[in-house]
Amino acid sequence: MTQALERETLEVDVLIVGAGPAGLSAAIRLAQLQAAAGGDPLSIAVLEKGPEPGAHSLSGAVMDLSALGELFPDFEARGAPVGCRVTGDEVRFLTPARAWRLPITPPPLSNHGCAVVSLSDVVRWLAAQAEALGIDVFSGFPGSELIIDGTRVVGVRTGDRGLDRHRQPTALFEPGVDVRAAVTILCDGVRGNLTKTLVRRLDLDVDRQPQTYSLGIKELWETPAPKVPPGRVIHTVGYPLQTTEFGGAFIYGLPDNQVTIGLVTGLGPADPLFDPYHTFQRLKQHPFVADLLEGGTLLKYGAKALPEGGWYAIPRLAVDGALIAGDAGGFVNSLRLKGIHLAMRTGMLAAEAAFDAIRAGDTSRARLVRYEQQVRTGAVGRELFPVRNVHQAFDRGFFTGVAFAGLSMLTGGWWVRDPIPATAGHRRMRTVARVHGDPRRLEAALAPPPFDRRLTFDRLTAVHHSGTRHREDAPSHLIVHDTDICRTKCRIEYANPCTRYCPANVYEMVDDGAGGVRLQINASNCVHCKTCDIIDPYQIVDWVPPEGGDGPRFEGM
Amino acid sequence: MVIVVAECASGHLSQTSREAVAAARHLASDISLIVPAPAGADAIAEALQLPVAEVVALEHDAFAHPTAEVLATALAPLLAASDATHVLWAHTYQARDYVPRLSARLGRPLATDCVAIERTGDGVLFTRTIFHGRLVADVVLDGPGPHFVTTQIGAFRDTAPAAPAPAAPQLRHVAAEIPEAALQVRAEPPVRDVRQSTDLTQARRIVAVGRGIREESHLGLVRELAAALGAEIAASRPVCDAGWLPMDRQIGSSGQTVAPELYVAVGISGAIQHIVGMKGSKTIVAINRDPDAPIFEIADYGIVGDLFEVVPALTAALTSR
Repeated sequence: MTQALERETLEVDVLIVGAGPAGLSAAIRLAQLQAAAGGDPLSIAVLEKGPEPGAHSLSGAVMDLSALGELFPDFEARGAPVGCRVTGDEVRFLTPARAWRLPITPPPLSNHGCAVVSLSDVVRWLAAQAEALGIDVFSGFPGSELIIDGTRVVGVRTGDRGLDRHRQPTALFEPGVDVRAAVTILCDGVRGNLTKTLVRRLDLDVDRQPQTYSLGIKELWETPAPKVPPGRVIHTVGYPLQTTEFGGAFIYGLPDNQVTIGLVTGLGPADPLFDPYHTFQRLKQHPFVADLLEGGTLLKYGAKALPEGGWYAIPRLAVDGALIAGDAGGFVNSLRLKGIHLAMRTGMLAAEAAFDAIRAGDTSRARLVRYEQQVRTGAVGRELFPVRNVHQAFDRGFFTGVAFAGLSMLTGGWWVRDPIPATAGHRRMRTVARVHGDPRRLEAALAPPPFDRRLTFDRLTAVHHSGTRHREDAPSHLIVHDTDICRTKCRIEYANPCTRYCPANVYEMVDDGAGGVRLQINASNCVHCKTCDIIDPYQIVDWVPPEGGDGPRFEGM
Repeated sequence: MVIVVAECASGHLSQTSREAVAAARHLASDISLIVPAPAGADAIAEALQLPVAEVVALEHDAFAHPTAEVLATALAPLLAASDATHVLWAHTYQARDYVPRLSARLGRPLATDCVAIERTGDGVLFTRTIFHGRLVADVVLDGPGPHFVTTQIGAFRDTAPAAPAPAAPQLRHVAAEIPEAALQVRAEPPVRDVRQSTDLTQARRIVAVGRGIREESHLGLVRELAAALGAEIAASRPVCDAGWLPMDRQIGSSGQTVAPELYVAVGISGAIQHIVGMKGSKTIVAINRDPDAPIFEIADYGIVGDLFEVVPALTAALTSR
């Protein structure tokens, strides 16, 4: 903004950015600590970019209930939407025509005692618990910038509203609000925009492995016959992915003949022509999967990136005045395919450290660092440390990964090289010429798969089922710093991978009317998965939050 | 005493000024209403009808279309010399423009956009919403008076306490002194944007155009067809997104939802985002090159062909009748 603005300022003790499982667990634990300790009441505020908590939450999800039990021992009496317990697991290896069932389910994929849940429902419920404890959850307020004083985070500025496409104020303009806090807990999710800024600004990832990511694409179906009984958990590996590509599919049975189906694919395959969305559509055409969905209806669609780098990719988590928790910090167990319980657990630990620091009157890193120690020595570290190298092993091919995962159960994760080196996904992408050689093969590879509009759909139809909405005349929240690269260098070297990696048809190369092409950004389609920001080989795409409340409307996801 | 500064539009007292007076009655019954207006404006007579003790007709020709600087310069000496406890304005665009200048120039505290006023034991509590209306803050002003307050439009509509109606207000004429320097910027009378707003929901016939049109310069073809049919022109998202047609002509999930008797879809593939905005149309005619385009699934009449041939032929056939 060029003109001086009068901004509202709100002062709180603890500011939490992101009303997801980490942020809400942190808020609830703070309120619990406050109630137990008495004394001056803490003021706690939670910012959420979505129109309501849960609207931007998406996961598989098979949820480990241990952390929920620590937060609310009576979670069942409180009506937590985790009633669909896992009734059985199976793992299948798919070839193009067959689905071989593994004779035993590998122990990390055994989900006894876990629940098949909708994360968006769980988050809605957590938000209701938080509000009942008197916590203010501000939905529709994205954290757009950190307010930093030297090395200290002193708060967050929320996004402006009512700007036009050229970022000029309209009649509806309202400037963002400055929320100042003694401690800010960043729970802004995978590739969170504030965490990303903080990590870069204060070099929080020095000596760490680069974070690596996957993209999860998910659909919710209703089927005429209960082919996948409630609580049934099926994971598949193999087709339609190549053995060089990381990933696998999940199919979970839910009550009311609903089935969740999704595909997780590594963001960092060598092939720039890889198309996660089309690959997911091909998965549904596999006879085993097509049979499960036969005659069904697509209800919902969504996508989200997930951090896979594990233990060695977690940045420093405490700085002066701020802590990082949940997916923002990279807390996912990529062997067990779970992260919700780790998000909740790190949220609670962050809350405990924040509470201690505020009561002690010292919110510097020196005091807050006890959070990092608790993460390392507690349940989170005990779970993540032994699998610290598994994802990196999968980077070297599927079979290497499986072999390593099995071996690591015997060695406690030890390997002759520890850590096994990792490479950020955008650096692993190879040029089209190197992967495909002959440009004629390129056209074949780019041909769209057939969409039958019963089982498989084009991207736009899928996006419709995400319920995403953005004000059409708002500024684009996907900032491409140099679109000349798109139409020149990237077009030749990588054939514009953004147009294939985006699961929501945000990026299109269109005729520029002068014999060339130009990038068109359909920002209003965005489902907030962050894939473009992660995978772009030139790292010129920045995902920033759009106007508060805009984005997907995930329900049952 | 409390001062209220009125605002005039076309020589008349604005409704918001009445609200500011209603708000002032929460503070005192002794109200002085300053009406900056050109001499002889109807606003003065209207002001005399209000429950105030005094009306100050602050007169200058520049008040017909005042700039922020004119108002601030004219009011500053009056307010500085006043012994009022508070000065109130309605929180209008005009007030937003010049009241902060006055506040800064005179060094008086300002509480903006207040929704409630409450007298407490020894002071006054002003309530204003913050954080886009999610929280309310109680503000106490201190420092030298008079304190400046703007009141939210609509907040004090009928909330004035039933204080005894004062006698007819005194009228005082004051010629405003505005130095030439403040008059260097002159405001022209406001112009009204005469652009017609489009209500496609009332249209009986609509010709909608999609990405198949390829270039803005081809829109003429579609306009001619619309004219031949007596139809409104509309579009799917890519056309409005490119700025070839205004956004109020967009049909679909992020535009308008319509159900005309006749809907002609030209070069529209039929993405579900568009379909949801027009599927209730009585008769749907689709023209598209791609026989597999989803639009044909809901069309009553489908023409598979190049729109650049079909549309002119259709227009010619309609106009030759």
